[in-house]
Amino acid sequence: MQTSIHSSDRFKPSVLRKTVLDMAYAGSTVHIGCAFSIIEILAVLYRNHLRYPDNTPDSAGRDYLVLSKGHGVMAQYACMYERGWLTDTQVQNYFADGSELKGLSDSRIPGLEVTSGSLGHGFSVGVGLALAAKLRFTDQKTYAIVGDGEINEGPIWEGALFAAHHELDNFMVIVDENGFQAMGATKDVMSLGSIESKFESFGFEAVTIDGHDEAALDGAIAALWASPSKRPKALIAKTVKGKGVPFMENNNMWHYTRLNDKTHAEAVAAVAQGA
Amino acid sequence: MRQAFSDTLVALAKADPNVLLLTGDHGYALFDAFRKECPAQYINAGIAEQNMVGMAAGLARAGFRPFVYGLSAFIPVRVIEQIKLDIAHDNLPVVLCGDGAGFVYSHLGTSHQSTEDIACTRAIPQLRIYSPADRFELVRCMTQSYECAQPVYLRMGKADLGDVHAGALSGSIEELIQLRVGSDTRVALLATGSMAKAAVDAHEQFFPDASVWSVPSIKPLDNASILELASRFNAFIVLEEHSTIGGLGSAVTELCSEFHPVRTLRIGVNDRFSHKCGTYQYLRVEHGLDLENIRKKISSFVGLPASVKTA
Repeated sequence: MQTSIHSSDRFKPSVLRKTVLDMAYAGSTVHIGCAFSIIEILAVLYRNHLRYPDNTPDSAGRDYLVLSKGHGVMAQYACMYERGWLTDTQVQNYFADGSELKGLSDSRIPGLEVTSGSLGHGFSVGVGLALAAKLRFTDQKTYAIVGDGEINEGPIWEGALFAAHHELDNFMVIVDENGFQAMGATKDVMSLGSIESKFESFGFEAVTIDGHDEAALDGAIAALWASPSKRPKALIAKTVKGKGVPFMENNNMWHYTRLNDKTHAEAVAAVAQGA
Repeated sequence: MRQAFSDTLVALAKADPNVLLLTGDHGYALFDAFRKECPAQYINAGIAEQNMVGMAAGLARAGFRPFVYGLSAFIPVRVIEQIKLDIAHDNLPVVLCGDGAGFVYSHLGTSHQSTEDIACTRAIPQLRIYSPADRFELVRCMTQSYECAQPVYLRMGKADLGDVHAGALSGSIEELIQLRVGSDTRVALLATGSMAKAAVDAHEQFFPDASVWSVPSIKPLDNASILELASRFNAFIVLEEHSTIGGLGSAVTELCSEFHPVRTLRIGVNDRFSHKCGTYQYLRVEHGLDLENIRKKISSFVGLPASVKTA
């Protein structure tokens, strides 16, 4: 549950979800459920943790947010829109011919650090960014958001070994554990067992929390960074795919279903009600 | 060639602390000097090539200049998607050094042989492909890779075949370099990597009137020079220790077919794996890339008699 202490008018989840719905409707596109499960994670990161020294998306010395599960990019667009890094036109004309914002994270857009979409890439790029900060002795932090389905990919575990061996305590992987991947439940496609235990055994300092509880997210992120351990960090966020719209929640068809007039209106109403 | 590689890498790294060497647990003795001279710039990324190339992209984003080393069977082919997406897409200055291209690991079999790497990389936008013939071309390829600050695949083949140049090179590595001058306009030999030495040997032993060029840059290709040669010569012989599909021979014929068609014999690997094992020289013979086979193919193609030692 959100608490009044940590809630804020900035990056309100209901507002972010409304932006996602409007973009998805305008672009007649998919991946809505995948964006909704990481709304609170991104809200908390943008509100309280990500540092952009000169308030521009490409600020020197910034923290890095790597959206390895690039198909959740509408959630990040919503945050970038609120930061003023995207225009009304870009949001309203999502997917219009000749437009720039794609359906997957593309690093040519200031504010997106990686070109992902092929899964298992962003994590390694993030490890490289974290290593760069260590080599330069800066205090920059790198966050890599991965999906639970995405961690089927082998390079994730290659990167995890490296990050732990090189004590990249400035690196945090956030696993969006919504329990689904494209074709079904993760437990049916490729059982993951305890993700927390897996990262622990790879040498990470790991914790599992409710990925929609902003106060819990905020506290867990702060606590992981405050730890004196030199281990890289893993935040396992238990989430709900499609969170915020009852008919989308835990309904995997919203990985690939497009909005029509009716479902858009109903979803917008549901999101407003949940505000 | 390996000594030149090590020396150049050490020199680049000492001149620029942003130069990093990443290796996928390969290059045991090769990097002794680097580890001694620049230990803070040496990273053994473990036997994890995909992560290594992704990390190199992250390091390059943050201003570093990674040289990523591996066997050419793994760098680039195993990590082709990381090269495409993490590096080339964003034009990041990463130099991908693939060692042992062609049949160098002749005894180890298909996993370690690399005759499809050029074909795999050529279609990736913004990626340069350099294929040095000897230590002098290698040094220039490496310095130009650093200077251009763009993604480069550096294809390193058999290292001990001998030099084709008399000394250090100073011009652009992205232009053809003439190795031998001949008066016969019936045929021009264009060769890259290890086969440049074979082309020079063919000239000296069998076709002294044939002109020979080295092509150290597969991409960008020196289109202007090749088309100029196409207008002067009746036929091209293209030699490479790579599949005849998708390599230098393909690049030359694709170019010429559009602007100035010229009969071209592609001498390379004929779309098959190595089924048998043996020395490097054995596999060159087995695939028809030894000097005698080259002589026969050229003679047959352009109607030159065998062993024409014209004055």
